[in-house]
Amino acid sequence: MKVPMTDTQHHAVGDKPETDGAQSEETVLVADDVSHTYGDLSVLEEVSVSLAAGEVVALVGPNGSGKTTLLRVLSGLLTPTAGEISYRGPERNRERGYLPQQPAFRPGFSARETLAFYTSLVDGDPDELLDRVGLGDAGDRTVETLSGGMTRLLGIAQATVGDPPVLLFDEPGSGLDPGMRRQTWAVVGERAAAGAAVLLSTHDTLLAEQCADRVLLLGDGQVQADGSPAALTDEYDRDSLQSVFEAAVGGESGPVGSMGDST
Amino acid sequence: MSGEARQAVQAVLVRELLTVARSRAYLGLVAGVSLVAAGVLAAGGGVEVGYVPAAIDLLLPFELLVPAVAVALGYRTITDDADRGELDVLETYPVPPWAYVVGVYAGRAIAMVGALGVPLALAGLYLSTQSPPDPTTLATHSGVDSPVLFVRFVGLTLLYGLVALALALAVSALAWSRRTAIVLAILLLGSVAIGIDLLVLRGFGAGWVADQQLTTALAASPASAYRGLVFETVLYVAFDSESGYAAPAASVAGLLAWLVAGLGLTVAGVTRRN
Repeated sequence: MKVPMTDTQHHAVGDKPETDGAQSEETVLVADDVSHTYGDLSVLEEVSVSLAAGEVVALVGPNGSGKTTLLRVLSGLLTPTAGEISYRGPERNRERGYLPQQPAFRPGFSARETLAFYTSLVDGDPDELLDRVGLGDAGDRTVETLSGGMTRLLGIAQATVGDPPVLLFDEPGSGLDPGMRRQTWAVVGERAAAGAAVLLSTHDTLLAEQCADRVLLLGDGQVQADGSPAALTDEYDRDSLQSVFEAAVGGESGPVGSMGDST
Repeated sequence: MSGEARQAVQAVLVRELLTVARSRAYLGLVAGVSLVAAGVLAAGGGVEVGYVPAAIDLLLPFELLVPAVAVALGYRTITDDADRGELDVLETYPVPPWAYVVGVYAGRAIAMVGALGVPLALAGLYLSTQSPPDPTTLATHSGVDSPVLFVRFVGLTLLYGLVALALALAVSALAWSRRTAIVLAILLLGSVAIGIDLLVLRGFGAGWVADQQLTTALAASPASAYRGLVFETVLYVAFDSESGYAAPAASVAGLLAWLVAGLGLTVAGVTRRN
Protein backbone atom coordinates (compact mmCIF):
# COMPACT_ATOMS: atom_id res chain seq x y z
CA MET A 1 0.00 0.00 0.00
CA LYS A 2 1.31 3.41 -0.91
CA VAL A 3 -0.55 6.42 0.36
CA PRO A 4 0.21 9.82 1.85
CA MET A 5 -0.28 10.25 5.56
CA THR A 6 -1.79 13.15 7.45
CA ASP A 7 0.57 15.76 8.79
CA THR A 8 0.06 14.46 12.31
CA GLN A 9 1.46 11.12 11.29
CA HIS A 10 4.68 12.73 10.11
CA HIS A 11 4.92 10.80 6.87
CA ALA A 12 5.70 12.38 3.57
CA VAL A 13 3.48 11.79 0.55
CA GLY A 14 4.36 8.45 -0.90
CA ASP A 15 5.68 6.86 2.27
CA LYS A 16 4.60 3.31 2.93
CA PRO A 17 2.78 3.07 6.27
CA GLU A 18 2.61 -0.03 8.41
CA THR A 19 -0.03 -2.57 7.42
CA ASP A 20 -1.63 -5.46 9.16
CA GLY A 21 0.67 -7.62 7.10
CA ALA A 22 -0.86 -11.06 7.23
CA GLN A 23 -3.88 -10.06 5.19
CA SER A 24 -2.14 -7.89 2.66
CA GLU A 25 -2.09 -10.46 -0.14
CA GLU A 26 -5.54 -11.88 0.52
CA THR A 27 -7.91 -11.39 -2.41
CA VAL A 28 -11.22 -10.00 -1.17
CA LEU A 29 -13.11 -9.15 -4.34
CA VAL A 30 -12.94 -10.60 -7.84
CA ALA A 31 -14.69 -9.51 -11.01
CA ASP A 32 -14.47 -12.18 -13.65
CA ASP A 33 -15.13 -11.23 -17.29
CA VAL A 34 -17.77 -8.72 -16.25
CA SER A 35 -19.80 -6.97 -18.93
CA HIS A 36 -22.59 -4.50 -18.57
CA THR A 37 -24.92 -2.96 -21.10
CA TYR A 38 -27.60 -0.28 -20.91
CA GLY A 39 -30.01 -1.34 -23.62
CA ASP A 40 -27.90 -1.61 -26.75
CA LEU A 41 -25.05 0.41 -25.27
CA SER A 42 -22.19 -1.72 -24.07
CA VAL A 43 -20.47 0.00 -21.15
CA LEU A 44 -18.20 -2.70 -19.75
CA GLU A 45 -16.74 -5.51 -21.84
CA GLU A 46 -15.23 -8.55 -20.17
CA VAL A 47 -13.52 -6.67 -17.38
CA SER A 48 -11.58 -8.79 -14.91
CA VAL A 49 -10.32 -7.21 -11.72
CA SER A 50 -9.21 -8.50 -8.36
CA LEU A 51 -8.69 -6.51 -5.19
CA ALA A 52 -6.44 -7.62 -2.34
CA ALA A 53 -6.74 -6.66 1.30
CA GLY A 54 -4.62 -3.66 2.20
CA GLU A 55 -4.30 -2.57 -1.41
CA VAL A 56 -5.09 0.85 -2.87
CA VAL A 57 -6.09 0.68 -6.52
CA ALA A 58 -6.69 3.79 -8.61
CA LEU A 59 -9.20 3.48 -11.42
CA VAL A 60 -8.24 5.94 -14.11
CA GLY A 61 -9.99 6.58 -17.39
CA PRO A 62 -11.50 9.31 -19.51
CA ASN A 63 -15.05 10.52 -18.99
CA GLY A 64 -17.50 7.94 -20.25
CA SER A 65 -15.05 5.06 -20.02
CA GLY A 66 -17.23 3.08 -17.59
CA LYS A 67 -15.55 3.84 -14.25
CA THR A 68 -18.76 4.58 -12.37
CA THR A 69 -20.48 1.57 -13.88
CA LEU A 70 -17.58 -0.68 -12.86
CA LEU A 71 -17.67 0.69 -9.31
CA ARG A 72 -21.43 0.17 -9.12
CA VAL A 73 -21.12 -3.36 -10.44
CA LEU A 74 -18.36 -4.16 -7.96
CA SER A 75 -20.36 -2.68 -5.10
CA GLY A 76 -23.35 -4.86 -5.98
CA LEU A 77 -25.60 -1.96 -6.99
CA LEU A 78 -25.72 -3.11 -10.61
CA THR A 79 -25.99 -6.68 -11.75
CA PRO A 80 -23.55 -7.42 -14.56
CA THR A 81 -25.15 -8.59 -17.80
CA ALA A 82 -22.35 -11.15 -18.11
CA GLY A 83 -19.58 -12.42 -15.88
CA GLU A 84 -19.65 -12.55 -12.14
CA ILE A 85 -18.54 -10.76 -9.00
CA SER A 86 -17.41 -12.79 -6.04
CA TYR A 87 -16.67 -11.48 -2.60
CA ARG A 88 -13.96 -13.52 -0.87
CA GLY A 89 -13.24 -11.42 2.16
CA PRO A 90 -14.02 -12.06 5.80
CA GLU A 91 -17.63 -12.46 6.84
CA ARG A 92 -19.03 -9.09 7.88
CA ASN A 93 -22.50 -7.66 8.11
CA ARG A 94 -21.31 -4.99 5.68
CA GLU A 95 -18.92 -6.28 3.04
CA ARG A 96 -18.63 -3.29 0.75
CA GLY A 97 -18.60 0.43 1.49
CA TYR A 98 -19.60 2.75 -1.34
CA LEU A 99 -19.09 6.45 -1.90
CA PRO A 100 -21.31 7.77 -4.71
CA GLN A 101 -19.91 10.32 -7.10
CA GLN A 102 -22.18 13.00 -5.62
CA PRO A 103 -22.97 12.00 -2.05
CA ALA A 104 -26.07 13.57 -0.56
CA PHE A 105 -27.88 13.12 2.72
CA ARG A 106 -31.33 13.68 4.13
CA PRO A 107 -31.65 17.36 5.02
CA GLY A 108 -32.52 18.48 8.52
CA PHE A 109 -30.04 16.15 10.21
CA SER A 110 -26.63 17.03 11.56
CA ALA A 111 -23.49 15.30 10.32
CA ARG A 112 -23.33 13.36 13.59
CA GLU A 113 -26.98 12.31 13.38
CA THR A 114 -26.49 11.22 9.80
CA LEU A 115 -23.64 8.93 10.78
CA ALA A 116 -25.58 7.78 13.85
CA PHE A 117 -28.30 6.56 11.50
CA TYR A 118 -25.82 4.51 9.46
CA THR A 119 -23.98 3.19 12.49
CA SER A 120 -27.29 2.05 13.96
CA LEU A 121 -27.56 -0.30 10.97
CA VAL A 122 -24.24 -2.00 11.61
CA ASP A 123 -21.76 -0.80 14.14
CA GLY A 124 -19.53 2.16 14.84
CA ASP A 125 -19.11 5.41 16.69
CA PRO A 126 -20.28 8.56 14.85
CA ASP A 127 -17.76 10.78 16.61
CA GLU A 128 -14.88 8.45 15.76
CA LEU A 129 -16.02 8.46 12.14
CA LEU A 130 -16.22 12.26 12.09
CA ASP A 131 -12.70 12.48 13.50
CA ARG A 132 -11.54 9.94 10.94
CA VAL A 133 -12.38 12.31 8.08
CA GLY A 134 -11.50 15.53 9.88
CA LEU A 135 -15.07 16.65 10.51
CA GLY A 136 -14.88 16.40 14.28
CA ASP A 137 -15.69 20.08 14.71
CA ALA A 138 -18.56 20.01 12.23
CA GLY A 139 -20.60 17.23 13.83
CA ASP A 140 -23.43 19.52 14.89
CA ARG A 141 -23.81 21.23 11.53
CA THR A 142 -26.77 20.14 9.46
CA VAL A 143 -25.81 18.44 6.24
CA GLU A 144 -27.26 21.21 4.08
CA THR A 145 -24.85 23.71 5.67
CA LEU A 146 -21.77 21.62 4.83
CA SER A 147 -19.65 22.65 1.86
CA GLY A 148 -19.37 20.33 -1.12
CA GLY A 149 -15.99 19.08 0.10
CA MET A 150 -17.25 18.48 3.63
CA THR A 151 -20.24 16.60 2.25
CA ARG A 152 -17.84 14.40 0.31
CA LEU A 153 -15.81 13.77 3.47
CA LEU A 154 -19.03 12.88 5.28
CA GLY A 155 -19.74 10.51 2.41
CA ILE A 156 -16.35 8.90 2.91
CA ALA A 157 -17.09 8.52 6.63
CA GLN A 158 -20.39 6.88 5.69
CA ALA A 159 -18.63 4.52 3.30
CA THR A 160 -16.33 3.33 6.07
CA VAL A 161 -19.13 2.67 8.61
CA GLY A 162 -18.81 -0.89 9.89
CA ASP A 163 -15.24 -1.17 8.56
CA PRO A 164 -16.15 -3.07 5.40
CA PRO A 165 -13.26 -5.07 3.89
CA VAL A 166 -13.87 -3.51 0.46
CA LEU A 167 -14.17 0.23 -0.13
CA LEU A 168 -15.32 1.62 -3.47
CA PHE A 169 -14.99 5.37 -3.86
CA ASP A 170 -16.29 7.19 -6.92
CA GLU A 171 -14.04 10.22 -7.42
CA PRO A 172 -13.49 10.95 -3.73
CA GLY A 173 -11.14 13.84 -4.47
CA SER A 174 -13.28 15.58 -7.05
CA GLY A 175 -13.83 19.25 -6.34
CA LEU A 176 -11.81 19.23 -3.13
CA ASP A 177 -9.18 21.76 -2.16
CA PRO A 178 -5.64 20.41 -1.66
CA GLY A 179 -6.07 20.09 2.11
CA MET A 180 -9.28 18.12 1.84
CA ARG A 181 -7.83 16.01 -0.94
CA ARG A 182 -4.90 15.16 1.29
CA GLN A 183 -7.36 14.30 4.05
CA THR A 184 -9.19 12.00 1.63
CA TRP A 185 -6.04 10.15 0.67
CA ALA A 186 -5.07 9.93 4.33
CA VAL A 187 -8.36 8.20 5.10
CA VAL A 188 -7.79 5.88 2.16
CA GLY A 189 -4.35 5.06 3.51
CA GLU A 190 -5.61 4.46 7.03
CA ARG A 191 -8.35 2.12 5.82
CA ALA A 192 -5.90 0.21 3.64
CA ALA A 193 -3.48 0.01 6.57
CA ALA A 194 -6.33 -1.48 8.59
CA GLY A 195 -6.67 -4.19 5.93
CA ALA A 196 -9.35 -2.85 3.60
CA ALA A 197 -9.06 -3.10 -0.17
CA VAL A 198 -9.71 0.33 -1.67
CA LEU A 199 -10.66 0.98 -5.28
CA LEU A 200 -11.15 4.62 -6.15
CA SER A 201 -11.76 6.37 -9.41
CA THR A 202 -9.84 9.53 -10.10
CA HIS A 203 -8.77 11.86 -12.87
CA ASP A 204 -5.74 12.91 -10.86
CA THR A 205 -2.99 10.79 -12.42
CA LEU A 206 -0.28 12.55 -10.43
CA LEU A 207 -1.83 11.60 -7.09
CA ALA A 208 -2.67 8.14 -8.38
CA GLU A 209 0.97 7.67 -9.34
CA GLN A 210 2.12 8.85 -5.92
CA CYS A 211 -0.43 7.15 -3.75
CA ALA A 212 -1.82 4.01 -5.36
CA ASP A 213 -0.28 0.56 -5.22
CA ARG A 214 -1.86 -0.32 -8.51
CA VAL A 215 -3.47 1.54 -11.36
CA LEU A 216 -6.25 0.26 -13.59
CA LEU A 217 -6.53 2.16 -16.84
CA LEU A 218 -10.02 1.85 -18.23
CA GLY A 219 -10.85 2.83 -21.78
CA ASP A 220 -13.86 1.99 -23.94
CA GLY A 221 -15.22 -0.22 -21.19
CA GLN A 222 -12.16 -2.42 -21.12
CA VAL A 223 -9.08 -2.64 -18.93
CA GLN A 224 -6.31 -1.17 -21.10
CA ALA A 225 -3.57 -1.54 -18.53
CA ASP A 226 -3.20 -2.86 -14.99
CA GLY A 227 -0.12 -2.62 -12.82
CA SER A 228 1.85 -0.57 -10.37
CA PRO A 229 2.59 2.98 -11.48
CA ALA A 230 6.28 2.09 -11.89
CA ALA A 231 5.50 -1.05 -13.89
CA LEU A 232 3.18 0.87 -16.20
CA THR A 233 5.65 3.66 -16.87
CA ASP A 234 8.31 1.03 -17.62
CA GLU A 235 6.00 -1.00 -19.83
CA TYR A 236 4.93 2.00 -21.89
CA ASP A 237 8.38 3.55 -21.74
CA ARG A 238 6.97 6.85 -20.45
CA ASP A 239 8.05 9.16 -17.68
CA SER A 240 4.70 9.66 -15.97
CA LEU A 241 1.37 7.98 -15.43
CA GLN A 242 -0.33 10.84 -17.29
CA SER A 243 1.77 10.03 -20.30
CA VAL A 244 0.94 6.33 -19.98
CA PHE A 245 -2.73 7.27 -19.69
CA GLU A 246 -2.57 9.26 -22.90
CA ALA A 247 -0.81 6.45 -24.69
CA ALA A 248 -3.03 3.67 -23.40
CA VAL A 249 -6.50 5.20 -23.50
CA GLY A 250 -6.10 8.34 -25.55
CA GLY A 251 -6.40 10.78 -22.66
CA GLU A 252 -5.55 13.84 -24.76
CA SER A 253 -8.26 16.42 -25.29
CA GLY A 254 -10.79 15.21 -27.78
CA PRO A 255 -14.33 13.95 -28.04
CA VAL A 256 -15.84 12.72 -24.79
CA GLY A 257 -16.27 8.96 -24.73
CA SER A 258 -19.79 7.68 -25.14
CA MET A 259 -19.51 4.71 -22.82
CA GLY A 260 -20.53 4.61 -19.19
CA ASP A 261 -23.25 6.45 -17.34
CA SER A 262 -21.34 9.28 -15.84
CA THR A 263 -17.62 8.82 -16.05
CA MET B 1 -37.61 -11.16 11.54
CA SER B 2 -33.85 -11.35 12.04
CA GLY B 3 -32.07 -9.07 14.50
CA GLU B 4 -30.45 -7.13 11.66
CA ALA B 5 -33.78 -6.59 9.90
CA ARG B 6 -35.43 -5.48 13.14
CA GLN B 7 -32.54 -3.08 13.71
CA ALA B 8 -32.98 -1.73 10.17
CA VAL B 9 -36.75 -1.25 10.55
CA GLN B 10 -36.23 0.55 13.83
CA ALA B 11 -33.49 2.83 12.49
CA VAL B 12 -35.49 3.79 9.39
CA LEU B 13 -38.66 4.31 11.45
CA VAL B 14 -36.90 6.63 13.89
CA ARG B 15 -35.37 8.59 11.01
CA GLU B 16 -38.79 9.05 9.39
CA LEU B 17 -40.33 10.20 12.67
CA LEU B 18 -37.53 12.69 13.26
CA THR B 19 -37.85 13.96 9.69
CA VAL B 20 -41.57 14.56 10.12
CA ALA B 21 -41.27 15.97 13.63
CA ARG B 22 -38.73 18.56 12.45
CA SER B 23 -40.82 19.60 9.50
CA ARG B 24 -42.83 22.80 9.77
CA ALA B 25 -44.96 21.48 6.92
CA TYR B 26 -46.15 18.70 9.22
CA LEU B 27 -47.29 21.17 11.85
CA GLY B 28 -49.05 23.04 9.06
CA LEU B 29 -50.70 19.79 8.00
CA VAL B 30 -52.01 19.09 11.50
CA ALA B 31 -53.21 22.69 11.79
CA GLY B 32 -54.89 22.45 8.38
CA VAL B 33 -56.72 19.22 9.24
CA SER B 34 -57.78 20.73 12.57
CA LEU B 35 -59.11 23.85 10.88
CA VAL B 36 -61.03 21.83 8.29
CA ALA B 37 -62.53 19.60 10.98
CA ALA B 38 -63.47 22.58 13.15
CA GLY B 39 -64.90 24.46 10.18
CA VAL B 40 -66.95 21.50 8.98
CA LEU B 41 -68.30 20.81 12.45
CA ALA B 42 -69.17 24.46 13.04
CA ALA B 43 -70.86 24.82 9.64
CA GLY B 44 -72.67 21.47 9.73
CA GLY B 45 -74.18 21.94 13.15
CA GLY B 46 -73.59 18.31 14.09
CA VAL B 47 -71.22 19.28 16.85
CA GLU B 48 -74.10 20.80 18.79
CA VAL B 49 -76.12 17.61 18.49
CA GLY B 50 -73.81 14.73 19.27
CA TYR B 51 -71.13 12.28 18.23
CA VAL B 52 -72.89 10.57 15.33
CA PRO B 53 -74.16 13.80 13.76
CA ALA B 54 -70.59 15.14 14.00
CA ALA B 55 -69.34 12.01 12.24
CA ILE B 56 -71.96 12.51 9.52
CA ASP B 57 -70.74 16.05 8.99
CA LEU B 58 -67.07 14.97 8.84
CA LEU B 59 -67.52 11.93 6.59
CA LEU B 60 -67.66 13.52 3.14
CA PRO B 61 -64.87 16.09 3.65
CA PHE B 62 -62.65 13.42 5.16
CA GLU B 63 -63.17 11.14 2.17
CA LEU B 64 -61.20 13.75 0.23
CA LEU B 65 -58.99 15.10 3.00
CA VAL B 66 -57.56 11.77 4.17
CA PRO B 67 -56.00 10.81 0.79
CA ALA B 68 -54.68 14.35 0.49
CA VAL B 69 -52.95 14.06 3.88
CA ALA B 70 -51.59 10.63 2.94
CA VAL B 71 -50.21 11.95 -0.32
CA ALA B 72 -48.64 14.94 1.42
CA LEU B 73 -46.91 12.66 3.91
CA GLY B 74 -45.75 9.97 1.55
CA TYR B 75 -45.53 10.82 -2.13
CA ARG B 76 -41.90 12.01 -2.10
CA THR B 77 -40.36 10.02 0.72
CA ILE B 78 -38.78 7.23 -1.31
CA THR B 79 -38.32 9.31 -4.48
CA ASP B 80 -36.19 11.75 -2.52
CA ASP B 81 -34.09 8.98 -0.94
CA ALA B 82 -33.52 7.57 -4.43
CA ASP B 83 -32.69 10.98 -5.94
CA ARG B 84 -30.07 11.59 -3.26
CA GLY B 85 -28.53 8.18 -3.88
CA GLU B 86 -29.33 7.07 -0.35
CA LEU B 87 -31.17 3.98 -1.56
CA ASP B 88 -27.95 2.94 -3.33
CA VAL B 89 -25.94 3.52 -0.19
CA LEU B 90 -28.45 1.65 1.97
CA GLU B 91 -28.09 -1.32 -0.33
CA THR B 92 -24.53 -1.73 0.92
CA TYR B 93 -25.91 -2.15 4.44
CA PRO B 94 -27.85 -5.15 5.78
CA VAL B 95 -31.17 -3.46 4.99
CA PRO B 96 -33.47 -5.59 2.84
CA PRO B 97 -35.94 -3.57 0.71
CA TRP B 98 -38.93 -4.82 2.70
CA ALA B 99 -37.33 -3.71 5.99
CA TYR B 100 -36.71 -0.25 4.55
CA VAL B 101 -40.33 -0.05 3.35
CA VAL B 102 -41.74 -1.26 6.67
CA GLY B 103 -39.62 1.31 8.52
CA VAL B 104 -40.66 4.15 6.23
CA TYR B 105 -44.30 3.09 6.33
CA ALA B 106 -44.38 2.69 10.10
CA GLY B 107 -42.76 6.09 10.66
CA ARG B 108 -45.08 7.85 8.25
CA ALA B 109 -48.08 5.91 9.59
CA ILE B 110 -47.41 7.22 13.08
CA ALA B 111 -47.24 10.72 11.59
CA MET B 112 -50.49 10.05 9.72
CA VAL B 113 -52.22 8.89 12.89
CA GLY B 114 -51.05 12.10 14.56
CA ALA B 115 -52.17 14.33 11.69
CA LEU B 116 -55.67 12.82 11.57
CA GLY B 117 -56.06 11.49 15.08
CA VAL B 118 -55.15 14.63 17.01
CA PRO B 119 -57.76 16.88 15.34
CA LEU B 120 -60.41 14.18 15.60
CA ALA B 121 -59.53 13.49 19.24
CA LEU B 122 -59.83 17.20 19.96
CA ALA B 123 -63.21 17.19 18.25
CA GLY B 124 -64.24 14.20 20.36
CA LEU B 125 -63.10 15.94 23.53
CA TYR B 126 -65.05 19.02 22.59
CA LEU B 127 -68.13 16.89 21.89
CA SER B 128 -67.80 15.28 25.31
CA THR B 129 -68.12 18.70 26.93
CA GLN B 130 -71.40 19.44 25.18
CA SER B 131 -74.77 18.82 26.86
CA PRO B 132 -76.72 15.69 25.85
CA PRO B 133 -78.60 16.11 22.57
CA ASP B 134 -82.23 17.08 22.35
CA PRO B 135 -84.19 13.98 21.25
CA THR B 136 -86.02 15.81 18.47
CA THR B 137 -82.84 17.08 16.82
CA LEU B 138 -81.18 13.74 17.40
CA ALA B 139 -83.94 12.17 15.33
CA THR B 140 -82.98 14.30 12.36
CA HIS B 141 -79.44 12.91 12.62
CA SER B 142 -80.55 9.27 12.80
CA GLY B 143 -81.09 7.76 16.16
CA VAL B 144 -78.84 6.90 19.07
CA ASP B 145 -75.61 8.58 19.96
CA SER B 146 -72.51 7.39 21.76
CA PRO B 147 -68.85 8.33 22.05
CA VAL B 148 -68.09 4.74 21.09
CA LEU B 149 -69.59 5.40 17.68
CA PHE B 150 -67.39 8.46 17.25
CA VAL B 151 -64.32 6.45 18.28
CA ARG B 152 -65.35 3.86 15.70
CA PHE B 153 -65.53 6.63 13.09
CA VAL B 154 -62.05 7.80 14.07
CA GLY B 155 -60.74 4.23 13.82
CA LEU B 156 -62.21 3.75 10.35
CA THR B 157 -60.83 7.12 9.27
CA LEU B 158 -57.35 6.09 10.42
CA LEU B 159 -57.67 2.75 8.59
CA TYR B 160 -58.64 4.62 5.43
CA GLY B 161 -55.64 6.90 5.98
CA LEU B 162 -53.25 3.98 6.41
CA VAL B 163 -54.49 2.46 3.15
CA ALA B 164 -54.10 5.78 1.33
CA LEU B 165 -50.60 6.14 2.81
CA ALA B 166 -49.56 2.72 1.51
CA LEU B 167 -50.71 3.79 -1.96
CA ALA B 168 -48.90 7.13 -1.65
CA LEU B 169 -45.68 5.28 -0.76
CA ALA B 170 -46.18 3.03 -3.78
CA VAL B 171 -46.32 6.16 -5.94
CA SER B 172 -43.14 7.37 -4.29
CA ALA B 173 -41.36 4.08 -4.97
CA LEU B 174 -42.55 3.75 -8.57
CA ALA B 175 -41.98 7.37 -9.64
CA TRP B 176 -38.67 7.95 -11.38
CA SER B 177 -38.44 11.65 -10.55
CA ARG B 178 -40.02 14.25 -8.30
CA ARG B 179 -42.06 15.51 -11.22
CA THR B 180 -43.50 12.10 -12.01
CA ALA B 181 -44.13 11.62 -8.30
CA ILE B 182 -46.28 14.76 -8.30
CA VAL B 183 -48.20 13.65 -11.40
CA LEU B 184 -48.73 10.14 -10.05
CA ALA B 185 -49.77 11.54 -6.66
CA ILE B 186 -52.44 13.71 -8.28
CA LEU B 187 -53.67 10.70 -10.26
CA LEU B 188 -53.71 8.64 -7.08
CA LEU B 189 -55.65 11.31 -5.23
CA GLY B 190 -58.26 11.49 -7.98
CA SER B 191 -58.48 7.71 -8.27
CA VAL B 192 -58.84 7.03 -4.56
CA ALA B 193 -61.23 9.88 -3.87
CA ILE B 194 -63.61 9.52 -6.82
CA GLY B 195 -62.03 7.74 -9.80
CA ILE B 196 -62.67 4.14 -8.77
CA ASP B 197 -66.19 5.02 -7.58
CA LEU B 198 -66.95 6.49 -10.98
CA LEU B 199 -65.53 3.43 -12.69
CA VAL B 200 -67.76 1.11 -10.65
CA LEU B 201 -70.81 3.29 -11.28
CA ARG B 202 -69.97 3.40 -14.96
CA GLY B 203 -69.84 -0.39 -14.88
CA PHE B 204 -73.21 -0.43 -13.14
CA GLY B 205 -74.71 1.89 -15.74
CA ALA B 206 -73.29 -0.19 -18.58
CA GLY B 207 -74.59 -3.39 -17.07
CA TRP B 208 -71.18 -4.92 -16.27
CA VAL B 209 -72.09 -4.79 -12.57
CA ALA B 210 -75.42 -6.33 -11.57
CA ASP B 211 -77.77 -4.72 -9.01
CA GLN B 212 -76.98 -7.26 -6.33
CA GLN B 213 -73.24 -6.89 -6.94
CA LEU B 214 -73.13 -3.12 -6.60
CA THR B 215 -72.36 -2.85 -2.88
CA THR B 216 -69.66 -5.50 -3.19
CA ALA B 217 -68.21 -3.83 -6.27
CA LEU B 218 -68.14 -0.47 -4.50
CA ALA B 219 -66.05 -2.07 -1.77
CA ALA B 220 -63.27 -2.21 -4.35
CA SER B 221 -62.98 1.56 -4.06
CA PRO B 222 -61.11 2.69 -0.91
CA ALA B 223 -63.35 5.74 -0.51
CA SER B 224 -66.53 3.72 -0.96
CA ALA B 225 -65.29 1.00 1.36
CA TYR B 226 -64.58 3.64 4.01
CA ARG B 227 -67.94 5.33 3.46
CA GLY B 228 -69.75 2.00 3.50
CA LEU B 229 -68.10 0.92 6.74
CA VAL B 230 -68.98 4.23 8.38
CA PHE B 231 -72.57 3.87 7.21
CA GLU B 232 -72.87 0.31 8.44
CA THR B 233 -70.97 0.52 11.71
CA VAL B 234 -71.46 4.11 12.87
CA LEU B 235 -74.45 5.85 11.34
CA TYR B 236 -77.06 3.12 11.05
CA VAL B 237 -75.87 0.82 13.79
CA ALA B 238 -78.99 1.35 15.87
CA PHE B 239 -81.49 0.54 13.17
CA ASP B 240 -82.28 -2.94 11.95
CA SER B 241 -84.11 -1.48 8.99
CA GLU B 242 -81.27 0.83 7.99
CA SER B 243 -78.64 -1.48 6.63
CA GLY B 244 -77.50 -3.00 3.40
CA TYR B 245 -76.03 0.24 2.10
CA ALA B 246 -72.64 -1.41 1.92
CA ALA B 247 -71.01 -4.80 2.27
CA PRO B 248 -68.94 -4.52 5.48
CA ALA B 249 -66.94 -7.72 5.02
CA ALA B 250 -66.17 -6.86 1.41
CA SER B 251 -65.28 -3.31 2.41
CA VAL B 252 -62.80 -4.49 5.04
CA ALA B 253 -61.36 -6.97 2.54
CA GLY B 254 -61.16 -4.22 -0.07
CA LEU B 255 -59.28 -1.86 2.22
CA LEU B 256 -56.90 -4.59 3.36
CA ALA B 257 -56.31 -5.61 -0.26
CA TRP B 258 -55.39 -2.02 -1.15
CA LEU B 259 -53.12 -1.85 1.90
CA VAL B 260 -51.29 -5.04 0.96
CA ALA B 261 -51.17 -4.05 -2.72
CA GLY B 262 -49.78 -0.62 -1.82
CA LEU B 263 -47.04 -2.02 0.39
CA GLY B 264 -46.29 -4.82 -2.08
CA LEU B 265 -45.90 -2.32 -4.92
CA THR B 266 -43.69 -0.18 -2.71
CA VAL B 267 -41.38 -3.10 -1.94
CA ALA B 268 -41.34 -4.04 -5.64
CA GLY B 269 -40.54 -0.44 -6.59
CA VAL B 270 -37.66 -0.21 -4.11
CA THR B 271 -36.33 -3.62 -5.21
CA ARG B 272 -36.51 -2.56 -8.86
CA ARG B 273 -34.45 0.53 -8.10
CA ASN B 274 -31.79 -1.60 -6.44
